[in-house]
Amino acid sequence: MAAKRIGGGKSGGESSILAKISNSEIVSHGRRVAGDTIEISKKLLKSTGKAAWISGTTFLILVVPLIIVMDREAQLNEMELQQASLLGTPSTSMQR
Amino acid sequence: MADLFPPAQVDAKIKVDEKADYSNLPCPVPYEELHREAFMSLKADNFEGLRFDFSKALNQKFSLSHSVMMGPTEVPSQSSETIKIPTAQYEFGANYFDPKLMLIGRVMTDGRVTARAKADLTDKLILKANAQLTNEQHMSHAMFNFDYMGPHYRAQFQLGNSALIGATYIQSVTPRLSLGGEIFWAGVPRKSGVGYAARYETDKMVASGQVASTGAIVMNYVQKISDKVSLATDFMYNFFSRDVTASVGYDYILRQSRVRGKIDSNGVTSALLEERLSMGLNFLLSAELDHKKKDYKFGFGLTVG
Repeated sequence: MAAKRIGGGKSGGESSILAKISNSEIVSHGRRVAGDTIEISKKLLKSTGKAAWISGTTFLILVVPLIIVMDREAQLNEMELQQASLLGTPSTSMQR
Repeated sequence: MADLFPPAQVDAKIKVDEKADYSNLPCPVPYEELHREAFMSLKADNFEGLRFDFSKALNQKFSLSHSVMMGPTEVPSQSSETIKIPTAQYEFGANYFDPKLMLIGRVMTDGRVTARAKADLTDKLILKANAQLTNEQHMSHAMFNFDYMGPHYRAQFQLGNSALIGATYIQSVTPRLSLGGEIFWAGVPRKSGVGYAARYETDKMVASGQVASTGAIVMNYVQKISDKVSLATDFMYNFFSRDVTASVGYDYILRQSRVRGKIDSNGVTSALLEERLSMGLNFLLSAELDHKKKDYKFGFGLTVG
């Protein structure tokens, strides 16, 4: 009984303190700021994601084929050079 | 696919001495080909779906061509969303090439017939004719061009249906700079206009600009980094509708392939890869992304012959 009363009294006191705290200017202000921060960071994340998507796909279209093709060209040149050194003659006939 | 490995241009133009020799000016490029280099880099014909082209030479002068195109085509609509319907088309063509005469005819399954002819009347005067017949109204047209090539100028006279009359003239001013003008008069949508153009070229770059009384201003700049790589940029502005577009692109010609890429101010990215698999067999890959309209186009094709 006593414990309960004490506890009840305590909890009542706590809740009043909590209420006081939660109703205070600073907390509500803080909560608003936190909410805003979350909102802004969400938007920021979304727009960064979109920008990354657009730049990534653009890169995929414009640069990736170029890299592949240039790499193949380099390989072809190397092969030709090797062949030339093996045969000891300039491989003009190899050029298609 | 004649443009895949362009021959070492007509730039075998007599290399005039650095100190300009004004009595020995080169012949300028034709007026309608003023932006040739920029168009070659920036106006890649991106397509969507499948494309298959086959051409067969029957003898030295005569050849037949067949092409099949399949894929979605855009239908013009009022809403901003693009509507596409799948279509398939077959095109049959016949070509006749002779040093003095060139005849090209095309028939499409949707009923479109186009014909082009080019004849050298004398070695200075060239007649070009273009005609198109469609089953849609007001889309059929015909056009005759008479080109006269002088020692350091070119003049052209145009005659088209719906009472279209035009003339262009371009003159080399210095060995590198050429200036030109055009005038046209159309009878049916009663309209007339004049235009001016300038082109400056060196071994490393080509710059050209054109302005017309219709309000269109076009400027192009092409920088040739080497004989394989060129970078091009263009700028288009319409004075009356206040439309502006600018684009930047590259053109990379390798031994077995050619890649062209472009990005423009509307956010449209496009690339076209032409790959030579073996003699007379080319493979095409085309991509175009429009993030703003959420319109993505991809295509592949084969060119045989």
